[in-house]
Amino acid sequence: MRSIDVEVRNRSGLHARPAAAFVRAASAFASTIRVKNVTLARPATNAKSIVGVMATGAERGHLLRVTADGIDEDRAVEALRELLARLDEPVRD
Amino acid sequence: MARLLGTPAAPGIAVGPAWRYRPRGASGVPVVAVGSRGEAELRIRRAADAAAAQLQVLAAQLRAADRPGDAEILEAQALMAIDPAIVDVAVRLARGGMAPVEAVLAAAETSAQVLAELDDPLLAARAGDVRDVAVRVARAMSGAQLELPDKPSIVVAEDLPPSLLAEIPAGLLLGLALSSGTPTAHVAILARSLGIPAVVAVPDLLDSMRGAAVVAIDGENGHVEVNPAPADLQALADRQAVRGAHARAAAVLRGRPAATLDGQRVALLANIRSPDDATRALDAGAEGVGLFRTEYLFLRRHSAPSEAEQTAEYRRAMEAFGPSRPVVIRLADIGGDKSIPYLVHADEPNPFLGVRAIRLGHDSRELLLTQLRAIWRAAGQAGVTPHAMAAMVATIADVELLCGLRDEARAAVVATGSACPERMITGAMIEVPSAAIMAPELARLVDFFSIGTNDLTQYVLAADRGNPSLAGLQDALHPAVLRTIAAVIAGADAAGIPVAACGELAGDPAGAIVLVGLGVDELSAEAGSLDGMRAALMGVSGAQLRELAARALAATDAETVRAYANEVLGAGL
Repeated sequence: MRSIDVEVRNRSGLHARPAAAFVRAASAFASTIRVKNVTLARPATNAKSIVGVMATGAERGHLLRVTADGIDEDRAVEALRELLARLDEPVRD
Repeated sequence: MARLLGTPAAPGIAVGPAWRYRPRGASGVPVVAVGSRGEAELRIRRAADAAAAQLQVLAAQLRAADRPGDAEILEAQALMAIDPAIVDVAVRLARGGMAPVEAVLAAAETSAQVLAELDDPLLAARAGDVRDVAVRVARAMSGAQLELPDKPSIVVAEDLPPSLLAEIPAGLLLGLALSSGTPTAHVAILARSLGIPAVVAVPDLLDSMRGAAVVAIDGENGHVEVNPAPADLQALADRQAVRGAHARAAAVLRGRPAATLDGQRVALLANIRSPDDATRALDAGAEGVGLFRTEYLFLRRHSAPSEAEQTAEYRRAMEAFGPSRPVVIRLADIGGDKSIPYLVHADEPNPFLGVRAIRLGHDSRELLLTQLRAIWRAAGQAGVTPHAMAAMVATIADVELLCGLRDEARAAVVATGSACPERMITGAMIEVPSAAIMAPELARLVDFFSIGTNDLTQYVLAADRGNPSLAGLQDALHPAVLRTIAAVIAGADAAGIPVAACGELAGDPAGAIVLVGLGVDELSAEAGSLDGMRAALMGVSGAQLRELAARALAATDAETVRAYANEVLGAGL
């Protein structure tokens, strides 16, 4: 099992569009991946579920914990870390 | 004919037959007979995949039409269709014996509830998308066909799923009128980018549609006309034609600061109803926001919006415009005309003369304090100077109340250790005659005035804005209104504070030049009006405007003033 903490940097948090990008990236891996909003102390949700990812209520400045468990867990957490760092454009939704 | 007033959601004018969309929801989707429970699971998964595929196709079409932002909305919906949080739960429910269609709708409803309970209003609004997707999955399962209008029509509905709007072939959809909805809902965003005029939140819309042959909608002003008279149709057609001609001419001037021929600068700002309107306003060349209507945060809900929710929204608007473009936030202008369960006062017989706006500062003090704290916080986070103003100011005591609440809110924010600016540029809206009369004294207590010409007209002429039989008395160009405005400006000038105007009069080119002639410094209007205002101002000189103002003040009726203004506009073309 691999776990990383990442700060959400993009302006509008995980709204529909960034959440969709996150889910697509997570779904590419075989591992079970869960995401938890540490700042709000919300329960962890399925990172391959767009409702789950949106339900983290992640806003800029929040700390997210991404936990992957499976054969490609290392690659999965790294890919999601990179994705969260890239989400910085304004989102209109 | 009848005119209904709603909220403008997408600009433009459309006229056509009404086509009523009726959602089929849970009850309208035919029951699917299934043999075994294993078959139910297969059907649910296949239907989810089919719905996701349909949404991807629609998204691809939008991408091909160079509308990537809209495509993303549908791509997110495609992911909802196959979301394990919905599909796996539906399968489990079906295994437990629930009919597959019901299982999908029930599973989606659980997810929708999760989203609806989030503090962030934008995420909470996605609950509607989840329900929309569930109906699509259910439809895919039952093979039910989507009903479409058979000729180009104005689509009338309580609400419309955004994916359905994208699915109606372009030629069949002339315009959109919804009895519910908000300008920030996805369906409204889609309508704007499709260039389809739309009006949302129209009370009594569905009841008024009985016997409606033709419907006209005006997406700038939020009007829906049922069976319009020939004269009204002609007026709309004329406006449509003028709009087209002006738009071509005015687009050339976009981005240039508005000034008269002799170089007198006039700041043009936008009225916005949510931070989502920022892009449109900036595209139209707005130098800031003269009126951020915050009512959307307070209506249609059971409890007041939290400080955090409001902070996020104000910050989003402030960041969109940046430190050099002010965003003037109007404190909630709500009262007894809407049933707001969390307000102390409600159901007043005469709400426009009742406890609303700054008057809430007595019995619903915490409501305004929360809003002011959110404004301070948002400005601290965005690194800008906050601007705020209150509506319904009638007395010196009202302004003292406003400033007291402002200072108390700041102290509370500072006490939490959060970043907080030193000062808030604080304004009084002038729309109550007593405030206009007391303008010299009020001007010494605030940083600016903003004249709300719609309400000022209603109160000066004692004519209910919503009463169609008094339409003739609702002209803000009436000399009585203009003389009141002139007195307000004189009071402001003596104290050295600027005056803005933010009603519909400011957005009307004729009204804009009269206001500038009277000495108004800033005009704020719907983004779609800025081109016309800029073009009008750039064709006239300061001397012409002062002469126009003098003639207007000497006139005795609104028609004469309008004729004078049109003369000046015509000469400037």
